[in-house]
Amino acid sequence: MVQPPPGSASADPDAAEVLYGLEQLLELAGEQLGEEISSRTVRLYATEGLIDRPGKDGRRAVYGQRHLLQLLLVRSLARRGLSLSAIAPLVAGDDEALQEQLSQLDDGLEASTPARESNDALDYLHSIQSSASEPSPSLLPLLGAPLSSRSPSLRASRMAGRSNASSSRWHRFQLAPGVELHLSESASIPPTRVRREAWLQRLIDRLREQLDHQE
Amino acid sequence: MNPSLHFRPLRPAVAADDATTLDLLITVATPPLPAELMARPRPPLNLVLVIDRSGSMDGSKLSYARKAARFLAGELTARDRLAIVTFDDEVNVLVPSQAVRDPLTFISAINTIQAGGCTALFDGWLAGATQVAQQLDPTALNRVLLLSDGQANEGLTDAGAIAAKVEGLTQRGISTSAFGLGSGFDEDLMGAIAAAGDGTLAQIESPRQLADLYASELQGLTSTIGRKVSLGIRAKHGAELVDVLNDLPQNVAGNHQLPNLRHGQELNVGVRLQLPAWAANQEIASVRLAWDSPQQQSRQSLVEHLTLPVQPQAELEELQCDPVVAEQFALLQANRERRQAIEALDQGDLQGALFSIAAMDQRLADLPQSEAIQCERQLLAEKRELMQQDRNLSRKRLRREALRSSLNVWEADDDNQTNS
Repeated sequence: MVQPPPGSASADPDAAEVLYGLEQLLELAGEQLGEEISSRTVRLYATEGLIDRPGKDGRRAVYGQRHLLQLLLVRSLARRGLSLSAIAPLVAGDDEALQEQLSQLDDGLEASTPARESNDALDYLHSIQSSASEPSPSLLPLLGAPLSSRSPSLRASRMAGRSNASSSRWHRFQLAPGVELHLSESASIPPTRVRREAWLQRLIDRLREQLDHQE
Repeated sequence: MNPSLHFRPLRPAVAADDATTLDLLITVATPPLPAELMARPRPPLNLVLVIDRSGSMDGSKLSYARKAARFLAGELTARDRLAIVTFDDEVNVLVPSQAVRDPLTFISAINTIQAGGCTALFDGWLAGATQVAQQLDPTALNRVLLLSDGQANEGLTDAGAIAAKVEGLTQRGISTSAFGLGSGFDEDLMGAIAAAGDGTLAQIESPRQLADLYASELQGLTSTIGRKVSLGIRAKHGAELVDVLNDLPQNVAGNHQLPNLRHGQELNVGVRLQLPAWAANQEIASVRLAWDSPQQQSRQSLVEHLTLPVQPQAELEELQCDPVVAEQFALLQANRERRQAIEALDQGDLQGALFSIAAMDQRLADLPQSEAIQCERQLLAEKRELMQQDRNLSRKRLRREALRSSLNVWEADDDNQTNS
């Protein structure tokens, strides 16, 4: 599971920052993610602008807490099938925002940890298949605030739809083949887990009522 | 039957009274295939051939691809499994994974392959990998063979994201080889896939070479003795590892990843260590080679320790350099510097690219002109000429040559390089 690195939550710019070499960074991130990260991956992410450029200590590249946070977040999102271009706007926020996104993801990961089956490879392929074939952007960045204040990439990807009463805009997400979720720009998804669960439960109840009604 | 590790320093001692920069060649050698094993059945293969049938594959390329696929089916036996997947903008499992009891089943299916639309390369890989995964056999060699002549332009196309997914599958026991065909494929993507896939990279300019490539791939698979090979170099007592000339990818534990080990092979890794003034009999470094063996369940490993005689700095300078080590270092350096030429080309700086090729050649010219050095200089001369006529092709070849230090890269027989 991804744990926030110790001490990084209190972002005090004056505090002497702990710096890592590339190896240490890979090791720390690898431990927390439970997967091996190669130096090539980190270099690629840095070139793509997903991770800030490393600092320099003589000839050596050095990394700080922010790099670690970014790396953890990029990997966690990539594992859920987000393309790097979709991830880019999500890792540009300040340290606190990164931290918050990570802990949100953490909740989700814990909930969906699959039982370890005999054919790991097949499970793995199924998992990347479902994520790769999902054309809609993630709901993740929509937590806690109205969509209108969210990242430009999401605004760009919205599908225009107009309600009758006002000219409010709607976002469209595919949940499954043939099933879409439409969210008004003014809607906000409760950010905390408990409230979000209650909100989801209400939605499920509503949906169930509709279906029962049809029968 | 196991691989062995050998150390060969550029100079046979380190300084007692001053810092030393130690250039060291680490050779991983594997024994040739013993005769009694040649008679014994090889491990079974569980393969999928994923064929690009996008529009650009039309004509002779596709006809050779069909021919080579028929050859592959003919070489396999009832103990092996093969699936065939084609992709354009859609993916088609032409033959689901099955034992190769009758090659004709495969051949008649292969004959139906027609060229189509776009290049959904990732989806093709995914469908092929699924065919292998459904039949995953830890005692077999499980591999995806991906043949493409195009740029991925449909579905997931980001090279880093594709490589990350391929790497995930490698960790779960299925490797991927990437074969680029013609002049339109994305050499950076194919290189990244082969590296992440722990497989072979091939770049074939003519489809005529396909059958040779498949034959060599089968040969390589059946003589594989180590997969997921890693080299852990631990400098001791204040010594520091400052460079690995092969530019090998590193895993979290800080170990360097080597290509698959095959019988009768020698892999050279060039490293540079920085040492403070050194005490006699003090260990400089330990090197640990670890690999997964097709025969054994647990991970195999072996460790060697490096100690060198110490001498006063003044005497050290008098010592002869080992010409074999000097040559290997120069060759590794030349592979690495090809990346600079590629970068210059990417920036549209033809002069800069030509300049770095000339600089590489100059350094090689200062060495004794062994056969290997002459071959290398000839490759560079070709690139220099090609760069002005066909920049795309020269970039592809430079990329392939740069990856020779860190990957199994297929070389056709008519190239001057020997295929390891």
